[in-house]
Amino acid sequence: MVEITLVQSILIGLWTAFCYAGMLWGIYTNRCIVLSFGVGVILGDIPTALQCGAIGELAFMGFGVGAGGTVPPNPIGPGIIGTLMAITMSSVTPESALPISIPFAVAIQFLQTAIYTVRAGAPESAAHALEKKQFGKFLRTSNMTVILFAVCGFALGFLGAFSMETLSKLVEMIPSWLLNGLSVAGGMLPAIGFAMIMSVMLKKEFIPFALLGYICAAYFSMPIIGIALVGAVFAIKHYNESSNAAVAAAAGPQEVEHDDWI
Amino acid sequence: MTGSKLTKKDYLKTTLRAYFLQNGFNYSNYQGLGYSLVMYPSLKKLYGDQPERLAQELKDNNEFYNTNPNLLPFITSIHLAMADRGMSYSEIRGIKMALMGPLAGIGDSLSQFCLAPLFSTIFASMAMDGISIAPLLFLFCMNFVLLLLKLIMGNYGMKLGTSMIDKLSEQMGAISDAAGMIGVTVIAGLAAAFVKINVAISFAAGEMQEGVKQSTVDIQAMLDKVAPALLPVLYTILMYYLIKKKNVTTYWLVLITVVLGVVLSYLGILR
Repeated sequence: MVEITLVQSILIGLWTAFCYAGMLWGIYTNRCIVLSFGVGVILGDIPTALQCGAIGELAFMGFGVGAGGTVPPNPIGPGIIGTLMAITMSSVTPESALPISIPFAVAIQFLQTAIYTVRAGAPESAAHALEKKQFGKFLRTSNMTVILFAVCGFALGFLGAFSMETLSKLVEMIPSWLLNGLSVAGGMLPAIGFAMIMSVMLKKEFIPFALLGYICAAYFSMPIIGIALVGAVFAIKHYNESSNAAVAAAAGPQEVEHDDWI
Repeated sequence: MTGSKLTKKDYLKTTLRAYFLQNGFNYSNYQGLGYSLVMYPSLKKLYGDQPERLAQELKDNNEFYNTNPNLLPFITSIHLAMADRGMSYSEIRGIKMALMGPLAGIGDSLSQFCLAPLFSTIFASMAMDGISIAPLLFLFCMNFVLLLLKLIMGNYGMKLGTSMIDKLSEQMGAISDAAGMIGVTVIAGLAAAFVKINVAISFAAGEMQEGVKQSTVDIQAMLDKVAPALLPVLYTILMYYLIKKKNVTTYWLVLITVVLGVVLSYLGILR
């Protein structure tokens, strides 16, 4: 069991606060891969953090997808809590950390919905402030959601790290067959993430590309950038052909008229 | 007509303030409060000498809004260009509201469904291989492209005014189609490479004999010869089917997967 000092707990709290607030700014800090990297740097175990981050990132990729305003399960679950567990507890692997930390991800999702709901009165109070020409109060009100995010993020990161000893006692009570099973489940969970993103992206005419990706990865064991490049070859070809077709369609009718006239 | 009070710097400032669009996010007017916040410094420059007008403008802008933050600069630049020519909010409001939906659609498909999955999968697989700077590269690439998008959009809005929106969305459609193709290729590849389902069962070939070394048939090895990563792909397709055709929620899928993983591993079928 790796001990977490008070200073480390505070640093993890600050890191979580920054990453969570970054979600509102749209700077993509609230992703498993980024969250867990910070935890790894602070606790001095980057290799484990990278594993946790990568597994969580792939599993949660599809969960971030949704129309504006809908709240998905939060990557802080596996990114912070799951990574803390995998680093501090020898019985928890990066694979089993993912399913163990999913309840946290769902709890944080509800917390976020609660923040948005509590803030529903904000436009009203901003309007009142403006009527009295209190511009300072207007600015404070306008920034309050991001401040609440930072405060909650700090609390989550700090308490998670600080209470890791208690959590580890709870995890120790999990029998080994269950932990093994959770590891197996952790290997299967990314399928949900991939399926969710596919359910948004995959159109009928993209199916050959899905097959292409499978062949490159499964039969040729190509690295991922190679797969992306192979996909790009066909995508660029399609793009050129469709813009040529558009030009031809625009020019087409005129030529026909011209022929008739001759 | 007071002529143009705003300089290029004011446009740039408002463009960069697009990052603050969701600082006041709430469930009654979504990004409405944030829109006022983004516009505040430039509106202050325009109407700073008349606090009544400034307060009214901010209050008017504090109404329902929901779009993609990365394409917002296009809207705010047009807004500022019109306001700078002395137009009132009631004249600007129409175009502001008309742009909200289309830009949200284009922006989301580009940033959420193409760029994010692409970079996310590339750098997650690098992290899986133990490359330490992968998370930082992810942040850098993502933010570099999105910042570039914001700057280009802000500039476009300032220069082209309101007439180009149709042509722009046409081009963006073709680009996001191409990006979608790359995305689908990559994600299919990743599903094959990173979903892990291994069968633990192996059969003894021939009769059991005491003291004789048995040759066994490993089911996983057999499957790999037929089609590598067959089970992961089939499981992903099953999940896809449940989401797309049966509208099963994520919670159920996670629950089903965890229970399935634990039970099948307990029974010694998967490892």
